[in-house]
Amino acid sequence: MAQTNLTSLPASPGLKFRSIILGFAIVLIVAFFLGPILWQLLTSIKVNQAIAAVPTVYIPQLNQLTLKHYQDLFVRRPFLSYIFNSALVSITSTVLALGLGAPAAYALARLRIWGEGFILASILIFTLFPYILLFLGLLEVVKVLGLGNNYLALIVPYTAINLPLTILVMRSFFQQLPPDLEDAAKVDGYSIGQMLVRIVLPMTMPALVTTGILAFIFAWNEFLFALTFITREPMKTIPVAVAQLGGASTFEIPYGPIAAATVLGTLPLVLLVLFFQRQIVQGLTAGAVKG
Amino acid sequence: MKIDAIRQREQLTGWLLVIPAFLVLLLIYAYPIARSFWLSVFTQNLGTQLKPVFSGFHNYARMAFDGRFWETMMHTAEFSIASVVLELLLGLGIALVLNQSFRGRGVVRTITILPWALPTAVMGVAWAWIFNDRYGVINDLLARLGLIRSEINWLGEPMLAMLAIIAADIWKTTPFISILLLAGLQSIPADLYEAHAIDGANPWQSFRQITLPLLMPQVLIAVLFRFAQAFGIFDLIAVMTGGGPAGSTETVSIYIYATVMRYLDFGYGAALVVVTFLLLVLAVALASFFLSKLRAQASGAE
Amino acid sequence: MGKRQKHSLKQRLLQSLGLFVAILLSIKLLFALPGLTQQPVTLTFLIGASEVPTWKELIKQFEAKNSDIRINLIEGPNATNLLEDLYTSAFLLGGSPYDLVYMDIVWVPKFAAAGWLMELSQLFPKEEQAKFLRGDLEGGRYRGGLYRVPVHTDAGMLYYRKDLLEQAGFKPPDTFAELMQISQALQKQGVVRRGFLWQGRQYEGTSAMFVEILKGYGGFWINPDTLEVGLDRPEAIQAVQFLVNTIRDGVSAPGVVTYQEEETRRIFQSGEAVFLRNWPYVWYLANKEDSPVRGKVGLKPMVHAPGQSSAACQGGWGWGIAKTTKHPEQAWRAVQFFSSSDAQRQFTLMAGGLPTRRELFKDPQLVQKYSFLPTMLEVLDKAVLRPPIAQYDQASDILQRYLTAAFTSQLTPERAMKAAADETRRLLGTKG
Repeated sequence: MAQTNLTSLPASPGLKFRSIILGFAIVLIVAFFLGPILWQLLTSIKVNQAIAAVPTVYIPQLNQLTLKHYQDLFVRRPFLSYIFNSALVSITSTVLALGLGAPAAYALARLRIWGEGFILASILIFTLFPYILLFLGLLEVVKVLGLGNNYLALIVPYTAINLPLTILVMRSFFQQLPPDLEDAAKVDGYSIGQMLVRIVLPMTMPALVTTGILAFIFAWNEFLFALTFITREPMKTIPVAVAQLGGASTFEIPYGPIAAATVLGTLPLVLLVLFFQRQIVQGLTAGAVKG
Repeated sequence: MKIDAIRQREQLTGWLLVIPAFLVLLLIYAYPIARSFWLSVFTQNLGTQLKPVFSGFHNYARMAFDGRFWETMMHTAEFSIASVVLELLLGLGIALVLNQSFRGRGVVRTITILPWALPTAVMGVAWAWIFNDRYGVINDLLARLGLIRSEINWLGEPMLAMLAIIAADIWKTTPFISILLLAGLQSIPADLYEAHAIDGANPWQSFRQITLPLLMPQVLIAVLFRFAQAFGIFDLIAVMTGGGPAGSTETVSIYIYATVMRYLDFGYGAALVVVTFLLLVLAVALASFFLSKLRAQASGAE
Repeated sequence: MGKRQKHSLKQRLLQSLGLFVAILLSIKLLFALPGLTQQPVTLTFLIGASEVPTWKELIKQFEAKNSDIRINLIEGPNATNLLEDLYTSAFLLGGSPYDLVYMDIVWVPKFAAAGWLMELSQLFPKEEQAKFLRGDLEGGRYRGGLYRVPVHTDAGMLYYRKDLLEQAGFKPPDTFAELMQISQALQKQGVVRRGFLWQGRQYEGTSAMFVEILKGYGGFWINPDTLEVGLDRPEAIQAVQFLVNTIRDGVSAPGVVTYQEEETRRIFQSGEAVFLRNWPYVWYLANKEDSPVRGKVGLKPMVHAPGQSSAACQGGWGWGIAKTTKHPEQAWRAVQFFSSSDAQRQFTLMAGGLPTRRELFKDPQLVQKYSFLPTMLEVLDKAVLRPPIAQYDQASDILQRYLTAAFTSQLTPERAMKAAADETRRLLGTKG
């Protein structure tokens, strides 16, 4: 009882103590999450001697700095192609996921259709499937259709892995949308298709952007399918290319270029997070909480 | 009559809108799993020159005595449970911190999302470098703090390699959990706490009696989702250790991949997929049952 | 006004771009049409990064002699299993980008059984075959077909400290018992810390090492013709027991269970051990100028049980041709060049790998640089293959797991080998 009184009092020592703890926690969080990225950045701009120095050089001198590792990357490996491949595959599959997923989400939110519960349930279950359970069956499909080393072998699966999220997020947006406008459009004699394009689509632009960003991130980061379905060097995507530069399957390339590769490979995503932080949080919570 | 016609048209349009997406989903999600069930009763490997030969439950019998399979199952369970529990605790802590108001909260929040958005495979390379025995920053920091005398070979020792992978996974996916939990925290009305405080509850009591029960839905979702993902972990391990040293970090997904892509043992690989799938379904069902019970208990206690 | 200007600018840009492309295309067509028959053919293959410089040199010579062929060399990882995985996934996917396959000896059955390799016996006459080392050539066969032309060889052997044995009045050992005896005697005298070093880590190297011990006891692993498994026979259990004893008796460092070739080589080279089981590359390094054991090292075939004979695990690399290649004739010319006497000699001089043509072991130029070549030929004639079965990778992984379990005393040799044998049998059978 006495304790309760003590802490519930707005006593200043307790408050100060609390803010010290809070500040300490914040510093720890920032250091933990930012540290690995900064360490990578630091390694990528140090000369080889400074990289291999023991103890570690944390604050390099001016003459220990270099951009050579970044140059090496483009000379020894088709790094521009990797970026292009990742961008192509991610953007195409994102557009496809939105194009297929948004109408489906609308139907599931607004139209009463037979089997709705079943469809929603299967979509929810699909989100739990690890990709490793899919790759054997997909490998066969890819082989039979001759799609090995074809961008389609990535675009179609990436579209599919983003559909559950797209449908769930878009559905929750549609449900929050007041139905008055659509009713009015129906009275005006619009068909459902016309109404979707002229009235609903413009209103859901923000939701589409939110979902699109998430879908893009998932597609850009995918590793297993990209590793399996693409074996030609100039067609590889960033995650596979970088993983094969370093890590457990070292190509005997010095750490500098590997670090440079990790920096370049993550840069587009860092930018996305910086600009669209709010949308990402929104989308994730909408997709998961409703799911 | 007319209403029926309208309803029918609505049905039709609805299905037309849903079907393309649903077909793609079936092709990529349902077909491969169904196909694995079918393939798993055939022996199709290098011994049969890659031709399928019907062999009934031979693959399953083989699996029952396959020591490596059970070992990878153990590693998968260890990894999943350790990482999900730690991520949940840490994620909750971070969500609580971010739920306070302080200067620069937006920036800190952005930083905490960052790891989630980066490619796992690429960051796996980065973490392997962090844990590098000669030049890695972890060993350097530990040495500077005077905690170690000689370098620790993090990725070369069975136990340590697993720890390193769990650490990297915590870094990568705690943000996801803290985002979810933060959203949950923010949806709890502040007057609940005020009323509780007037009733004489201390912060710990209100955390136990208000925050935790009301946060349960988010916790449940986060745990289920993360558990399924952790169970299928592939990228991080493939990049950081490749399942080594001596198979000590090999999880089921790494084993499945090797069985198919290295051994070309398709029938057995399919059987592994089937069993993993069923175990995952079982684990998720158990987890959701257990968690919902916990939730009922928590709300009952209130 | 401004908008229209912009519009016409865009149009002009598009027009000029179109014109540019059209010109480019027509130039290409002009040159391509008459050149169609003389267009050089490109052959692609993948090779471990560390060998790239040497091969680049040979490729330069090959291209100079064959103006109609260009070679596209792709740099791969150094670890053999990772290189194998890259080739495998490319072939598995179909439409493989590779024309030639640079193969480790143990890949042959797998790649051949999967139908990825061209059969070569039509192209490779018998009298030409006879010029190669027998083990290397045999390693290229699968079910009667020949799929690989060997270019460098490798075999396991016993290195020993000549100086220490002479000092103590011992002859180099022939049997397992002698090896143990000498080790313990020298250890007792305090001359060295360790007796015998071998590779006990769970990886392919352990299987290679074990094949030698197993054969030395007269046992076998898998009979490639009948698929019979011999791992739970008394000879195999004795072989495991011997290795376990070396650890138990302190003849081998407890660390051997985590060692690969390099760890054992470094310890041996620093002078801490009498015996070492390893591959030929150790010879060059142990006799380098800065090596503490320079000139003090002898080599001989691996020891064996009384009444049995020595065995050297056959390793090595060679060339195969992808079945899917569009240029089999050019690919064969490349294989012929790379496996020629001249190319092999250069390779050995440049990079130190051992040749696969018998005559080169007596080649004056090579023997002058590498005096141990004639002795090496003795070891190579004892070469035994790891079981040439299609599912070798899996069988080897099973063996490695249970060997490790025995080495680390988690299982007794009997139980470990029983389990390994059972698992291997289940692997090889289609029915339980």
